Amino acid sequence: LRSSVDPASGPRVGAAGGGYPPIRDLAAVGDGRTVALVSNTGTVEWLPLPYVDSAPVFGALLDRNRSGSFTLAPTDPYEVSRRYVPDTNVLETTFRTAGGSVRVSDAMTLSLGGGLLPFAELARRIEGLSGDVAMRWRVEPRFGYGSRAPRITGRAGVPVAASGSDAIAVNAWGAGETQLGPDHVEGTFTVAGGARAMLSLAIAHQEPLVIPSRAETERRLDLTAASWRRWVADRAISQSPYRDAMVRSALVLKLLIHAPTGALAAAPTTSLPEEIGGEQNWDYRFSWVRDSAFAMNALLEIGCQSEAEAFLWWLMHASQLTHPRLQVLYRLDGGLDAPERTLPLDGYAGSRPVRTGNAAVEQLQMDVYGDVFQTAWLFANERGRLDPEFGERLAEMADLVCDEWSRPDSGIWEVRDEPRHFTQSKMMCWVALDRARRLAQGGHLPSRNAARWLEATTAIGSFIESRCWSERRRSYTRSADADALDAAVLLGVVFGYGEPMRARATIDAIRDDLAQGPLVMRYRAPDGVTREGAFVSCSFWLTEALARIGRRDDAARLFEQVMGLANDVGLYSEEIDRASSAFLGNFPQGLTHLSLISAAAAILRPDGRGEA
Amino acid sequence: VSIWAALAGGFVGTLVLTTTLRAASELRLTRIDLPFLLGTAFVTDRKRAKLLGYFIHFFFGFSFAIGYLLIFDAIGRAGWLLGALLGLLHGAFAGSVLVNVMLPLVHPRMGDPTTSADREALLEPPGFLMLSYGRGTPLVTLAAHVAYGAIVGGFIAIAR
Repeated sequence: LRSSVDPASGPRVGAAGGGYPPIRDLAAVGDGRTVALVSNTGTVEWLPLPYVDSAPVFGALLDRNRSGSFTLAPTDPYEVSRRYVPDTNVLETTFRTAGGSVRVSDAMTLSLGGGLLPFAELARRIEGLSGDVAMRWRVEPRFGYGSRAPRITGRAGVPVAASGSDAIAVNAWGAGETQLGPDHVEGTFTVAGGARAMLSLAIAHQEPLVIPSRAETERRLDLTAASWRRWVADRAISQSPYRDAMVRSALVLKLLIHAPTGALAAAPTTSLPEEIGGEQNWDYRFSWVRDSAFAMNALLEIGCQSEAEAFLWWLMHASQLTHPRLQVLYRLDGGLDAPERTLPLDGYAGSRPVRTGNAAVEQLQMDVYGDVFQTAWLFANERGRLDPEFGERLAEMADLVCDEWSRPDSGIWEVRDEPRHFTQSKMMCWVALDRARRLAQGGHLPSRNAARWLEATTAIGSFIESRCWSERRRSYTRSADADALDAAVLLGVVFGYGEPMRARATIDAIRDDLAQGPLVMRYRAPDGVTREGAFVSCSFWLTEALARIGRRDDAARLFEQVMGLANDVGLYSEEIDRASSAFLGNFPQGLTHLSLISAAAAILRPDGRGEA
Repeated sequence: VSIWAALAGGFVGTLVLTTTLRAASELRLTRIDLPFLLGTAFVTDRKRAKLLGYFIHFFFGFSFAIGYLLIFDAIGRAGWLLGALLGLLHGAFAGSVLVNVMLPLVHPRMGDPTTSADREALLEPPGFLMLSYGRGTPLVTLAAHVAYGAIVGGFIAIAR
């Protein structure tokens, strides 16, 4: 894909307004601790430091005035194309101007190569491909969500931006004379065909800065690309028409796994809006228990055994303090609290409020129990064993589900009004107890209460079949005694709930009511007019549900259509606008990519793992 | 005599310390489990790790008791109050350096703040004052170490 940009002409066509780049124009690079989002104009729009759930040092995505950015682009009008270096999380952006072309390779380097390493490092290699290209760069960091401008000083000839216990060394090699401003560092240079320059940010957090040499950074960038390639080569992703999409999703997943703990972030951003100018702006930099079943399925499908084990360990550790209850989400460091507050920022294209923290942590969402049991079930099937301590704890959780399945809850969509008897929550309670019984039969869980679990499973099934099925709609409904539909009940089908005829009818009804081409809405608003975008995961759930009931050709067609909705480098956000195909919501979204892997695997292996 | 008293104090003190931490975990105040953390440095099976970890923890308990004895000998005084004070320092050291900084460096399965995507950690790092294991962790750990110190100090004082 190519875009034309004139640096002198202000916001681009298709931009979200106010100079904000379309979310679709972003790409992600990361190191397992944080993620940088780079636009196709060469600007680092987002980089939380030191971790993905920290305040961003570059947060222009949420405020063009108060937050920082790192720009790097030709000074003349250019065409741009980009890709990831195959099988890596190294981004290549190629700018073509009238005078020549230049390639920028962006990566957060991994802790490789030995020696004294910076705490974190963003490397940007500039390679002249042909002719002469005049380039301009500017590093403008801000700390504390834009509340603190840095102190810029030169140390041993290297500009350093510092604030509190954080510091960033701006290294420029072959990238022109460095100019120090009061709150920024910048430079201009011309790169000729065959020449190379390098810009790097060496980052320190609660420690003295480590300032690398150019050779060290160049080597680390090469080692990082090689490490990503090796990681992909070691995965079990077979050749298929879906391989590239699965590899890209696996690499996104790897970016979202918080390497110090094994937790999986839902997305690396906060408050990218579900509706431009709207208020549905949430912080996704937490680990949702709900994603666990898809994460486990995806990790095992692509051969990430060690990541799967680390994730299960993290999940069981994080939930220890609330056991046998589960929170909806946990912090990436395993912490329990996620107090929600708003920040004095403009918000993406004026979408306010900008939030940190997430009040959904306080909600009751019963479906998460089904997700945890499905996770354990997949892991036990793969490994042939489950840690006895985990088994004990899961048995106690199953007892809790027996006690509480009949409570109304906030459901998978985390509604903030009155709790209801959501059908998908009941289905997942059924899945929880069904998997508990199977795990007990396999000797992985103590079976002392298995009879009680069976009794509750039957009761839940009766409830769903009598109160959550609409004869008129020929479908399971959104909630008990209601008539509206909800794409989330597709998860019930995916996880094996439901009598086959009703499952098939539900899939058709949801497709008729909520799908618009390959895009699927979560549900219709009570007034029937739904303004929000289509939820991309729902498209993959529909795909997987079709595959699991044996309609593989139908599933494959839909899957290929949804693959066509990815951005130019294969990434997805949470939602897609049904009219303009603009990306909406936090980006890149883990659940979307997890659902993609799960759906692809179901099409390729119709006897898919975990099916009841 | 004092060495045996220190070892006896170390045994009882470690027993109390471990039990205190375990009780706090049952009360949902913390997720810290020192025997588990120590044992998983050698094995991944959780039950075996805990068993092994208890032995290692008791070894450390004895070692620190000898250390307390040397300090008491050096200053010519001993007692449960002085032991409690040493326990407080010991607990602060454990929370801020020993478990927080040093353990992630030597533990092959624990992540640390610089772990990047080329490695998968099975165990989350404790974080400053071990707060990643729950907000109650610093207080519980300090209290358990104060109890340990008081017991070791008391045993040594009685033997004298």
